[in-house]
Amino acid sequence: MAIHAESATAAAPDLSPYRTDYTSWKILAWTGPVFLFAVFVLWGIVAHNMPPFPPSATPEQVKAHFHDFRLPLLIALSICVTMTAFYMSFSVAVARVMERVEGPNGLLSKLEMMGGTITCAPVMVTLAIWLTAAHEVDNLTPGIMHMLYWMGWLLFDLAYFVTSLQIAAISIVFMRDRREKKLVGQFVIWWGWVTFASFFAVSAIPFVTTGPLAFNGVISFWIAFFTWFIWIPSLSYYIIRAVDRIKAEDEAAGRVND
Amino acid sequence: MSTISDTEVVTTDDRVTPRRLPGVDGVWVAIGADSVIFAILFASFMQARLHNPAVFEASRHTLNMNLGGIDTLVLLTSSWSVALAIQALKRDLIDRVPRYLLGGALTGLMFMVSKSIEYFEKFAQGIRPATNDFYMWYFTLTGIHLLHVVFGTSLLSYLWVRSRRRTYHSLQRVVPECVASYWHLVDLLWIVIFPLLYLQKAA
Amino acid sequence: MSVLRERVTMVWLGLMVLTCVTTWGLSKDLFIPAVGVVGIFSIAAIKVSYVMLDFMELRYAPIPVRSAFQAWPVIVAAMILGFWFATPSLT
Repeated sequence: MAIHAESATAAAPDLSPYRTDYTSWKILAWTGPVFLFAVFVLWGIVAHNMPPFPPSATPEQVKAHFHDFRLPLLIALSICVTMTAFYMSFSVAVARVMERVEGPNGLLSKLEMMGGTITCAPVMVTLAIWLTAAHEVDNLTPGIMHMLYWMGWLLFDLAYFVTSLQIAAISIVFMRDRREKKLVGQFVIWWGWVTFASFFAVSAIPFVTTGPLAFNGVISFWIAFFTWFIWIPSLSYYIIRAVDRIKAEDEAAGRVND
Repeated sequence: MSTISDTEVVTTDDRVTPRRLPGVDGVWVAIGADSVIFAILFASFMQARLHNPAVFEASRHTLNMNLGGIDTLVLLTSSWSVALAIQALKRDLIDRVPRYLLGGALTGLMFMVSKSIEYFEKFAQGIRPATNDFYMWYFTLTGIHLLHVVFGTSLLSYLWVRSRRRTYHSLQRVVPECVASYWHLVDLLWIVIFPLLYLQKAA
Repeated sequence: MSVLRERVTMVWLGLMVLTCVTTWGLSKDLFIPAVGVVGIFSIAAIKVSYVMLDFMELRYAPIPVRSAFQAWPVIVAAMILGFWFATPSLT
């Protein structure tokens, strides 16, 4: 296992002759918790997804649900589609921190950035599908409403592996950090692995409508989502602090080009 | 007389050693998280059972208790074998380590075979996860546990191969310790799952 | 290293015996359900404890970690039994 030791005194070609914009970097790191807040409050609470409306619901029940909550759904889902972009900006910030361990242009930091960015796609499309269902509820048959509801969940859930790869890349790189005090703490690295493992259970959702593996069940929803929900702010905490630590390292090595 | 408190060190007849966790600290985060997750699943199961005790009891009777009990004995033996491997490693008895790891892996394999037989028995009786809530929980809990067994057995097999090349010794035992700790988790989870599903008689 | 004299071997023997007691003893109709169930889950908690202390070596771990893990079998057993007693009887 090749480990790139990034000592504070080694030359870092990507910094010279360009200035590192630590401020923007830190702002991007903060978009992680902002994303989580948006998804948790808007999609989770306002859009009535904690817990989600059951997979066992009939087409008529699904239509009635979207009809009853049409306004909060329109508001929450529309804003959430837009704010999902923050997961992408967060991923860019994380990739830059990873490069300080892996080296500039590293493979895993690229994988992470792609993984985090592509995660936005199923999330945004799903939210837009449900937004459409709410918007058009009075024009659509119960059958179509049921289809849109399921389409959203199947896309939202089953695209998990893009996020899994992002999480794995982060855990691997930060495990290899040779600093005495690692940029990212052990808890977050290993919680990443717990999250990675928990996602696989979600593959069961097409086959069940009740019980722990259904998309509203204790495993496929509560555990799979909350391990990720805990991971995002925990990682963000270390990434935000890492930007400051890296700035201090750069200054100590005389590498700040202002 | 030692002036260091018992919270920091362990005092045995011949030496004083600082308290430590086997392997790396991070693996204990994963073990802790997995334990909490399973505890949540056990609570969820009991909650489902609360609403349907008759169905749960009737379905429970179709489970093979003897096979389940034997599974427990097999997994306990597996854990014991792996624990012996770590003890041997600590004392640099390198030649004995492979056989204990192999014992662990083979008993893991035995568990997998036994579970497969049990599942096939159920399928032959026309029982599926979707048959009722109890069976959904039975297949889910034992299934997720089985995945843990498969993963653990693979890790033990990997360790066995490397131990035969004398890769590990008392000063190089982090990876075996991590795997061993994980394996003991797999064992202790079954210690709860078995009575929860198989032995828990209704009032 | 004599396997027979190792602590883990003694623990293993105890665990094997306790398993037989619960699987082929306490679960039988000799005991009323409440006694059987309380016995079975108390023993399960004890078995988990020994696996944690002697197989996982938590006996020699930092006290906070050891305490956190040792709380698990107690909480889990209490939770299961709590639910069991709250569940309506079939008779």
